[in-house]
Amino acid sequence: MNDQWTDRLSEYVDGELANGERGALEAHLATCAACRGAVAELRQVVARARSLEDRAPQTDLWSGVAKRIGAGQVVDIRSRRFSFNVPQLIAASIALVLLSGGGMWVALRRPATPSGTRIVTPRPDDFTMNASADRQATRIWTGRTDAAIADLQEDLQRNEGRLDTATVRVVRENLALIDRAIGQARAALDADPGNAYLNLHLADTMRRKLELLRRINAIAAAQS
Amino acid sequence: MPRQVLEVTLTADSVAADAALAASGDASAFERLYRAHVNRVHSLVRRMLDADEADDLTQDVFVRAWDKLSTFRGESAFGTWLHRLAVNVVLARRKTLGVERGRFHSGENPLEGVSGRRETPEISMDFEEALANLPDGARQVFVLHDVEGYRHEEIAQMLGVVPGTSKSQLHHARMALRRYLDR
Amino acid sequence: MLTTIAAAVLATLAPMQGETDTTIAVPAGASLSVNNFGGAIVIHTWTQNRVKVHAEHGSRGSIEASLVGTTLTIKAGSRHGSPSVVDFDITVPAEMALNLSGTYTEIEVNGSKAAITAETVDGSIDVRGGSGNIMLNSVQGSVTLADATGRIEVNSINESVELSNVSGQIKAETTNGDVTLWGIKSSSVEATTINGDVEYEGTITDAGTYTFTSHNGDIQISIPEGANVTLTVATANGDIDASFPLPFRGTREKHRYTFKLGTGSARMEAESFQGDIELRRPAEMREHQKEKEKDKDHEMEQEEP
Repeated sequence: MNDQWTDRLSEYVDGELANGERGALEAHLATCAACRGAVAELRQVVARARSLEDRAPQTDLWSGVAKRIGAGQVVDIRSRRFSFNVPQLIAASIALVLLSGGGMWVALRRPATPSGTRIVTPRPDDFTMNASADRQATRIWTGRTDAAIADLQEDLQRNEGRLDTATVRVVRENLALIDRAIGQARAALDADPGNAYLNLHLADTMRRKLELLRRINAIAAAQS
Repeated sequence: MPRQVLEVTLTADSVAADAALAASGDASAFERLYRAHVNRVHSLVRRMLDADEADDLTQDVFVRAWDKLSTFRGESAFGTWLHRLAVNVVLARRKTLGVERGRFHSGENPLEGVSGRRETPEISMDFEEALANLPDGARQVFVLHDVEGYRHEEIAQMLGVVPGTSKSQLHHARMALRRYLDR
Repeated sequence: MLTTIAAAVLATLAPMQGETDTTIAVPAGASLSVNNFGGAIVIHTWTQNRVKVHAEHGSRGSIEASLVGTTLTIKAGSRHGSPSVVDFDITVPAEMALNLSGTYTEIEVNGSKAAITAETVDGSIDVRGGSGNIMLNSVQGSVTLADATGRIEVNSINESVELSNVSGQIKAETTNGDVTLWGIKSSSVEATTINGDVEYEGTITDAGTYTFTSHNGDIQISIPEGANVTLTVATANGDIDASFPLPFRGTREKHRYTFKLGTGSARMEAESFQGDIELRRPAEMREHQKEKEKDKDHEMEQEEP
């Protein structure tokens, strides 16, 4: 089987033919069983490719990797060539917080020492003064917290009906209060992205919003 | 207390958390990431190159990922980032192997060609084996496009060919693999 | 009228008048759970092993009481599905643990020597006494706690939180109100608010941790002479003012300063985004407080016709 269309069949299957060509090929397919068969088989090959399963390596390769990265040894953070900064620590802490449902905010104040390494307390001059990297790192953890907050706000909207109007008003006022505080903290942080205190303060304030939403949702849910 | 939290089962969020921790030097977090992604990376490397090199290259990928973790900004999923890094490692290796750019087969059935690796092509092969026996160019295009989902424009750039070549190589690979669908 | 209610028997008490008076014998170590919707819950204590319940509920209302195991549960009953408004005045053994909740409910406790949990949405909480786990939560009301000891968590959202003469592990939080901690003996204190001031007058013990935060308000802390504390003070827009020399031997970065007083054993953080941070000696703070109270009295006098 080898007609003028054979070599274009994959493009057809992938939807890459222009309208005119596609029409012409489809007209051909109507009359050519061999090409029709080929198209069906090509589609099966694609499907098979997509369903290929990943296989594990036959030996465990981790020990080789571990040796090469120096895992399990004492690592002086300052010797690693990356910008070890507060926003990254907070990103890790926030991720932990959102995982555990809010019980781990202690980590923000006393950064947990990851197992297997010893962190030498970084001094301000050790921080690389890379404002845009810091801003990006902040965007990451605030992004995650914002997502968690948005989820809870949706929950609250659904549950609001169970609370009386006065309580709803008070809750909204306090959420607005916290939002203003968050706005101010963000503005300050944007002007000074790597600043440890401002990062922590923004994180704290966002946490307060998360906790307020959680608490009100719990109260609303408990109302019959 | 933090250690208890670290023993959660793997979810998208915990992958992100582990990436952040690993970026700041936590090797246990990196090991969890390794465990979660090694099969995928190894399979990619094996299909793109070959089984002999897959082990070494897989380790190379993870070592490089460890070094480069500080540049992972979390804007895409960690798996996607790692995957792209693996592809880059494979492509770099491909260059050092001295694969000629010109050696793309245009014959009807590449598997019948001289560059087949098996000495006894009569033995029935399963799909993955057949894939491994495709010539390098066709196989790599097929893996990148149909298995890994890259587009022709991207593949062309990665492999240093024009998109047209990528398309025709893909077609040849698919046509050759048709026969090994049911194995 | 003395009524003994057997275990697991639910009794509904609904006499003709809008009041109920009943006394229930309880075993030693029993706990009390009161669930109200609207109205007050007022708790007094005595040394008897009985619980005396006085409830005012209007002719339509009723209360329900049941003793299951060692928990005595008292609820405002509802007729025809709608919750009733009941004012409870309950006298309990001092050692009886208390679990008090309501929605439009003021909660008041006097003289307890036991663990207390009190939750309300629209109502203030006022507790004198308490020992062990103490958790007080209101949304719209103020929360005050005095003469208590134990693991303490006190929260409001829209009003202030006030602790006096309290010892133990303390966490006090509100969003739109002040947090005032006086006469505190603790080595673990956390006090936060967003829109309000924070005041702390209490011990600073070696190896203790103390955290005071606000967004808009001032933070005033009493630092006794001879305190050993590593003090980190941070503010974005406010001033830092101490009545004694601060040995600047610590680290400094923008907006945040660390000082080491004495051996630096305790750790304290005082942070306000926009407010001032004031560090005073205890005597000063007490003077200041007395003057504030005099002014308040003065104002009140002037308001009288």
